Amino acid sequence: MSLAFDEYGRPFIVIREQDRKKRTKGLEAHKANILAARTVANLMRTSLGPKGMDKMLVSPDGDVIVTNDGATILDKMEVEHQTARLLVELSNSQDNEIGDGTTGVVVLAGALLEQAQKLLDKGIHPLKIADGFEKACDIAVLRINDIQEEVNIEKHDHEFLKKCAITALGSKVVSKCQDLMADIAVKAVLAVADLERRDVNFDHIKIIAKTGGSLEDTSFVTGIILDKDFSHPQMEKEVKDAKVLILTCPFEPPKPKTKHGLEIKSAADYEKLYKMEQDYFTDMVQKVKASGANLVLCQWGFDDEANHLLMHHKLPAVRWVGGVEIELLAMATGARIVPRFEEITPEKLGRAGCVKEISFGTSNDKVILIEECSKTKAVTILIRGGSKTICDEARRCLHDALCVVRNMIKNNNVVGGGGATELACSIAVGKEADKIKGVEQYAVRAFADALEEIPLALAENSGYNPIEYLSKIKKEQNSEGNPFIGVDALNKGTTNMMEQGVVESAASKRNQLELATQVVKMILKIDDVIAPADYE
Amino acid sequence: MVSCMTAKQSENPSIVILREGTEDSQGKPQIISNINACQSIVDVVKTTLGPRGMDKLIHQQRSVTISNDGATIIQLLDIVHPAAKTLVDIAKSQDNEVGDGTTSVVLFAGELLNQSKQFIEEGMHPSVIIKGYREAMTKSIDRIRECSIKIAEEEGRRDILKKCAQTSLNSKIISKYKEFFSEMVVQAVEILESDLDKSFIGIKKVTGGSVTDSFLVEGVAFKKTFSYAGFEQQPKKFVNPKICLLNLELELKSEKENAEIRLDSPEDYQKIVDAEWTLIYEKLEKIIASGSQVILSKLPIGDLATQYFADRGLFCAGRVPNDDLLRLAKSTGGVVQTTVNGLTDDVLGTCGVFEEKQLGNERYNFFTQCIGTKSCTIVLRGGADQYIEEAERSLNDAIMIVRRAVKANAVVAGGGAIEMELSRFLREYLRSISGKQQLVINGFAKALEIIPKTLAENSGMDSTDVLNKLRQKHTQDAEDGIWFGVDVINGRCANMYKEFVWEPELVRINVISAATEAACTILSVDQTIKNPKSEQQQAEAAGRLQGTSQQGRPRPQMGRGIRGRGGK
Repeated sequence: MSLAFDEYGRPFIVIREQDRKKRTKGLEAHKANILAARTVANLMRTSLGPKGMDKMLVSPDGDVIVTNDGATILDKMEVEHQTARLLVELSNSQDNEIGDGTTGVVVLAGALLEQAQKLLDKGIHPLKIADGFEKACDIAVLRINDIQEEVNIEKHDHEFLKKCAITALGSKVVSKCQDLMADIAVKAVLAVADLERRDVNFDHIKIIAKTGGSLEDTSFVTGIILDKDFSHPQMEKEVKDAKVLILTCPFEPPKPKTKHGLEIKSAADYEKLYKMEQDYFTDMVQKVKASGANLVLCQWGFDDEANHLLMHHKLPAVRWVGGVEIELLAMATGARIVPRFEEITPEKLGRAGCVKEISFGTSNDKVILIEECSKTKAVTILIRGGSKTICDEARRCLHDALCVVRNMIKNNNVVGGGGATELACSIAVGKEADKIKGVEQYAVRAFADALEEIPLALAENSGYNPIEYLSKIKKEQNSEGNPFIGVDALNKGTTNMMEQGVVESAASKRNQLELATQVVKMILKIDDVIAPADYE
Repeated sequence: MVSCMTAKQSENPSIVILREGTEDSQGKPQIISNINACQSIVDVVKTTLGPRGMDKLIHQQRSVTISNDGATIIQLLDIVHPAAKTLVDIAKSQDNEVGDGTTSVVLFAGELLNQSKQFIEEGMHPSVIIKGYREAMTKSIDRIRECSIKIAEEEGRRDILKKCAQTSLNSKIISKYKEFFSEMVVQAVEILESDLDKSFIGIKKVTGGSVTDSFLVEGVAFKKTFSYAGFEQQPKKFVNPKICLLNLELELKSEKENAEIRLDSPEDYQKIVDAEWTLIYEKLEKIIASGSQVILSKLPIGDLATQYFADRGLFCAGRVPNDDLLRLAKSTGGVVQTTVNGLTDDVLGTCGVFEEKQLGNERYNFFTQCIGTKSCTIVLRGGADQYIEEAERSLNDAIMIVRRAVKANAVVAGGGAIEMELSRFLREYLRSISGKQQLVINGFAKALEIIPKTLAENSGMDSTDVLNKLRQKHTQDAEDGIWFGVDVINGRCANMYKEFVWEPELVRINVISAATEAACTILSVDQTIKNPKSEQQQAEAAGRLQGTSQQGRPRPQMGRGIRGRGGK
């Protein structure tokens, strides 16, 4: 940082470690910030759309991630520059709120910044640019509200939801079995959705990935998969019409929580103690047996004694089941969680059609499958795939698809995908721009140009001549007045996205535009960066 | 400047009064140097003033703050210069006292010092300047009180509050949505009790979603707390529930921390176990008996209790943050209990609707439609953490302003209008006095103009031109001209009162008095004695980092400074 000097030529140390701080201000700061943010955005550009490419990321400890998901890429890149970090957060926010469109939002923000830089070069005040962008964003959002179409979502009508999920999966590595994946996503969300309150709690959908098999083996289970095996190898491996008992106390003699000591004074007493302990075990198993349960799931461990007894009484049991699974199991089977043996009653048991232990391939990996549960309020998706990298990516893809379906349930308005909406907004904003007085006009027009960047990138990634293609579909939109005309990225022969079934939720699009505009404003508003000098 | 130690070494043994390494400086140069130091701070915050003011991005270790708020920036700068620290203090005090105008106060204090510099150089005694400034300050405050616009009638009041909030939000990142947020802020403040305790307005930050998705809950909202198995089986929506607020742990555990039980016979064992279970079950039964449907506790609610409530179709949440619980008590009318004995209806609260909902990536608990609520929660949304943080700071300012405006029912016009008016008034006044004071008060009047000047500069207008226009307007047009200021949005001079740029008079009064006090404090200092220890520590730190030893150097600061310069 610059130093001030007094009469004697001595510098003022006004700020701690002043000489080791770096300060950039004014236009220079703007340019540096924009450049950093644009670099990040440019990285993402090639990941956009169904023909977008994946990125391979190697973590410091050598883990490899191959992904197409914008939020994941940015997150794992460990971006250091603070303004660029804003874009990472932007992508994360989109991920948190909508779950999809994480690449699009960053590309849009990058395009806006690129336009802003041009305007800055013309000497326009940065805040005027930001104001113009905000004005333009309003126009674009209004346009989205205009062109959105409401679709009817009934519990039995899967087709439409599936289409949306397929759009979300289109750009991912799993696109070869997108039909299956989309189906699974729709089923899973509908199973846990509360359609009346339009609320979907993702905690109730468990996703498990097991390496081995192929992606096509990925399956949807109306129940729970436990990454455990039965407590005794000789227990039954399969239980039909299971009556499930869920316990949160160990199969052990009870212990008081208060600090205690037991003084044994004689051998007889000791005998008595041993006998009592034995009685506890038989008593416990009897209680379980009496309730009619034929499967025991326990949050804690068993004594060997108890394990043996359970096996003898033909009671298959699983121990050390995690708290989260216990909860999901209770929800799926309709069981009540039992805190101690005294409280076991037949009403507290849950029901499951089939419980079996299965192992995968030749590995010793065993899981317990609990399916055909009486209540389907908690479900599981089992992902299979050739390698860990594929499984991880499939998990991310499914997450995106789940989010898309959820958003449809939350808000059933859709707009065209494939850059159609951006194009429609761009045309609308461009028209409005001419009516605006003052310097903002330039900024509004720049916003329209930035919006075109999305279809442009899509066309480019799909192998078309971008400018030519864009002008073609722009003309089509203008002459037909159809806001659903976009980039035919999959070469299906029609540019009408509605016909192709490439749709996105209107809320997601609105969110993208607003978030990008707000973050761009934040970046434009910074004119002074104070940083430690060693910071690069 | 280490005069005390080195003087007269040849004749007498030197009298060491201060520890070696102590640095002191005094006299006129000292005052000037202090003023210069303050000036460099002012330069940093100068560009944040006004609707076209910019933000600063400040790094500290790993975290980063992007802000437009004067107090926040100054605090983050980590200022070590003793005189410049005074400015930090006034910014802080302005923040605590009024909440807004923190940039103005620093700017004005800096300019007052700047004006006094020339007097000092000409040999005027600082105390004369101080006296003059104090007089000018009193006159100015009187003048503000005299010309501020009092608002008496009730119906216009809400509008004025909104306008004040909007003025405060003008320069912030959420300026575009000032209509939206000012409405929210005014509504939030209206909900509060007459003491306007700000802690009863909760602000929750959730990333994702546009800022326009932010909303005000007339009640309480908080993030889903840590929950045990069984929680998901509880119902997540109640209409008109009875709410039980506890400060009690509901868990199977030893009742007394250090108790120890000695057992003689194995039969007693079961009894002890049973006794413990009975204790907890009794507590739970009492809660059930009270008819509560939503049970909230500051302390953990264990898995046993969670499942017990789930079995009975009730909702519970443990480890609710303390301030959320207090807010809940205010809005539901419940009383926080430390025991489950005597849970009568009058200690249970209620609300219209309780619901758990998805918000961004999180589940949130909402207590809405509380009748007669005395607290509320603002849920802020936004695209990035920094964005929400800054939005929160901005809202905080607006809330403070509205609170102030509710208390004091008088407003003045912003945009530098009131400063121009005071400047004109003082110039007129100084003609009636004689002596040096005249000059000093003139300096004060000139310093006031820094606010409109900076506003104009920041928005890219020609500041000299603007000031001339404003001066002319204020002297010629006594009626209408009084509220003429810089209309930054439209880039012209305009009647700011008519443009609805309003601020509570208290903000301006505080700006002027705090800045004057700070300037006077700095002017009255003519000697600084620096404790050598802290100097040495600094030097050592610097030495370590730069790979050279600093120990034993008599004037460590000097050494550092030279190297600092060399590096440039």
